Amino acid sequence: MSVLDQKFGDRYDTPKTPVAFDITNLDNFVYDMQHCCKCKGCYWVEHTYNPGMNFPVRCASNLWNDFDAYGAMGKTRIGLAIHEGKLEWTDKLLEIIYACTLCGACDVGCKRNLDLEIELTLEALRVKAVKDGAAPLPAHKKIVDNIATNNNYFGATESRTKWITDDIKVADKADILYFVGCSTSYANHGIAQAAAKIFNATDTPFMLLKDEKCCGNTVFSIGMFDEAKKIAEANIADIKATGAKTVVTSCAECYRMLKVDYPKLLDIATGDLGFEVLHLIEFADKALVEGKLKLTKPVDVRFTYHDACSVSRLCDAWIPYKGERGWMGMIYPGMRRRRGRQGLYEQSRNLLNAIPGADFVEMVRLRENAFCCGGGRGTKEAFPEFSQFAANHRMEEIQYVGAEAVVSACPWCNSNFSEAIQENGANVKVMDIAEIIASAVEI
Amino acid sequence: MSINRLAYNAMKAVVGDRYISEDPAICQGYRSGPGGFEGGTGYERVMTTLPHAVVLPKNTEEVQKIVKICNRYDVPYVPYSTGFYGPRTHCHVENEIIIDLKRCNEYEMDAKHFYFNVGSGVTLGALQQEAMDNGAYTVIGGGGAQCSAICNLIGDGWSPLSHRVGIPHRRILGTELVLPDGELVKMGSLATSDDPFWGEGPGPDLRGLLRGFTGLRGCLGVVTKMAIKTLPFQPEPLVPTGVSPNTQLELPLNRVKWINYIVPTKEAQVESMFEIGHAEIAAAVTKVPKFWRAIAKAEDKEEFWKLWLVEDEESIKDFFIVRVLLVGFTSEEDMQYQERVLNDIMTEQGGVARRTKPSDESWIKNADSAGMWLMCGSYVSVDYVIESLSQAVDHGESYAELKWKYTPPLMPDFGDPGWFQNFEMGHQGYSEFLIYWDQREDVEGVDKFYVDTSKMNIKHRYYTSLLGPHQPMYLTGPAYGPNYHTWMLKIKEELDPKWVSHPPVPFAHDEFVRKAPWMKDMIDWESPAELPGRKW
Repeated sequence: MSVLDQKFGDRYDTPKTPVAFDITNLDNFVYDMQHCCKCKGCYWVEHTYNPGMNFPVRCASNLWNDFDAYGAMGKTRIGLAIHEGKLEWTDKLLEIIYACTLCGACDVGCKRNLDLEIELTLEALRVKAVKDGAAPLPAHKKIVDNIATNNNYFGATESRTKWITDDIKVADKADILYFVGCSTSYANHGIAQAAAKIFNATDTPFMLLKDEKCCGNTVFSIGMFDEAKKIAEANIADIKATGAKTVVTSCAECYRMLKVDYPKLLDIATGDLGFEVLHLIEFADKALVEGKLKLTKPVDVRFTYHDACSVSRLCDAWIPYKGERGWMGMIYPGMRRRRGRQGLYEQSRNLLNAIPGADFVEMVRLRENAFCCGGGRGTKEAFPEFSQFAANHRMEEIQYVGAEAVVSACPWCNSNFSEAIQENGANVKVMDIAEIIASAVEI
Repeated sequence: MSINRLAYNAMKAVVGDRYISEDPAICQGYRSGPGGFEGGTGYERVMTTLPHAVVLPKNTEEVQKIVKICNRYDVPYVPYSTGFYGPRTHCHVENEIIIDLKRCNEYEMDAKHFYFNVGSGVTLGALQQEAMDNGAYTVIGGGGAQCSAICNLIGDGWSPLSHRVGIPHRRILGTELVLPDGELVKMGSLATSDDPFWGEGPGPDLRGLLRGFTGLRGCLGVVTKMAIKTLPFQPEPLVPTGVSPNTQLELPLNRVKWINYIVPTKEAQVESMFEIGHAEIAAAVTKVPKFWRAIAKAEDKEEFWKLWLVEDEESIKDFFIVRVLLVGFTSEEDMQYQERVLNDIMTEQGGVARRTKPSDESWIKNADSAGMWLMCGSYVSVDYVIESLSQAVDHGESYAELKWKYTPPLMPDFGDPGWFQNFEMGHQGYSEFLIYWDQREDVEGVDKFYVDTSKMNIKHRYYTSLLGPHQPMYLTGPAYGPNYHTWMLKIKEELDPKWVSHPPVPFAHDEFVRKAPWMKDMIDWESPAELPGRKW
């Protein structure tokens, strides 16, 4: 019992309830679902940063479908009804729960004022859907099968390392392990090549896993907790077997999985993984500051930066928590909430501002208020119309600020934007942050 | 039970398949509570129900058609914009529909003539930024930046900036109202032309009917469009900085700054506020509850309570703050002049300026009302009074005393008398009383506190603004009217003879006290055996 409970607890009848962040049990998030006040901080860009009538919304899901049910304020109420057995799983309900990239905009918006665990609640709802047999959806089942059969998202049977060209030096043994990821290995070779070029340009030896497997992002994101846990255990064992001290990813989703969701799945802290997890942004920023990375080659482009969700508001280190909630909803012992403040906002901008010759212009919605591209975490496969809508909407913003190119730090954003451009014909180039950095490196 | 299929299909024909639903999951998203304004109160539990369907019209014409369909087929409805105002803006009777107005987001700004013309889905936060981008400003009402501007203007619409900008009535210009039967009323200059510039129009000023002091919560139709007056601001940019939750507007201190003064007595507090108004300086003058300062400082609720519980009745009793926002509207010299006058006034009153952040976290662009949930989980603004500054102090003391009686379940606030401030350069004193509790407690006391607040106001003859929709009409009407309740009833029956617009408002609180068994012993006023209005 906290000191505060001791002072006032006897005057009130507040029940004491356990608190845990275990997403396999929806009970753990009943308090959060009960305390949404419909302020819609989950929906609008944070008030201080509200840009006016153009692009004031941060929730892609609720902008796609206007009913409140599609925003976190609706999903929390729906979640309660599911918990209380008042709602049956239907196609519409599954669309509400899954036409969402779990981008975390609602979570940081809520934590502006209320400290409710919205992201975890949404994850727990998906775990519940799977437990109840309502999920995975057919499109998701196909991805899960691909991963189970061929260890990659796409079900590809060819080598994961076709991206390696003759000029790329890969070490047999190194302190740094480059975890390439499915999208980069199979669909975005340029990103892997650029990442390797950055390692080589800084004289940093890096190795690869002998037989890299999918990080399990989609499996986890759709609520298949047990299956995702097995993938996490296998990948952690493989990484540890290499003796790597640091894992570097160029994929935002792999980064979040390794840094945040593997520890969550295993009920350990990020710091207890046994290795450090970095995104290439962090590696390159450190190298730039230390003078190892020299960006000297002019790049003639006016570009903007899209803060990919998993290197921004979703990447605060994971800390397991178990405690008790008492008087006035206080938890004991206290904890520092994950508010998305560890996002790589400054590091990415340090790098982008150092690109010579380029004109870096910010978007209207940025950092923790950025609007998700709509492409990640299995959403595109199950709800392509939603993903296309989100990418097109973000593309409008990219063009609104007059950018010729959009730079992201996630190959899934890269693919989704590229496909949107193919559809809508926007005259915008899509680049990964690794690619624009590499293009500024003299070889 | 279900609504008439012909009615549903007719509404679908108006808005299209995508914008109407009776799916149970969609409707669940529009549940009132269990959290939110008045979260967990008896009113929320007894008086609200799920909507049967939700419809999202795009414009005034679609709203009119939907309302006419509701009249034709006897379908009760409630207009809904952001849904922030808790149970009062959610369905109260079975088979009621919600008309969600968020798609009615038409917007134009006439920067030359300093007004916006907006639909119901446009929020205050967006308007404030657009205004500031065009050298003007408006008020982010206490409800918050996320509130529909129209909804806030017809309900509340004030903040500390009302010191200079004035009460909301004065900012409502040409307005469109879809009456409960679907007919369109155009008010102000819209009544005679397409120009919404003027609030005043031919005939009686219907803006008073529209909102009274605090509006009628959707029981007299749907406001679909409103021209809102803005006022000239200073030209320097206010730059947003920080990462959530620690965000703020960096102020150009040569043109905009907050100054906090500590004064020795309550009398000095009131006198200094009066003198600032008398000197016609400052953009905002306010006294806030001390625990709001703890909210602003705290990272989370645990830290809030650590900060707050070091206080006690003595420390609260002797704490007198005056917060002043200075804006050099016309020039830096204007700013310097105001600051000199302010310093003279505060020196005379024994005020001492304290270190104040060079930023704005609340009121210019963000009312931050959502932060009020931080410490307990539930809250409501139970009373607003617009009278005089000296009366605000008396009211605060009575109110603090009453609050003790209901603590718990209310949070311990050590007798803080609440929030009060200048309106209209001190010509009016505004006081607002907010209560906080944990909805997991036994909250019957909160329901009783509501009614006891009315009784206190009647006893002391305080003029409260929440007469109409928030209190039993048969308690407050005879005391304040003496025929306020019968006047309300006549208006309602004249404009909404079928009682389809958000029944049973304005007699909802009367119904609540009858339905809730724990409220029975509170009823000591006369009322008819059967409440007026159609039974659904």
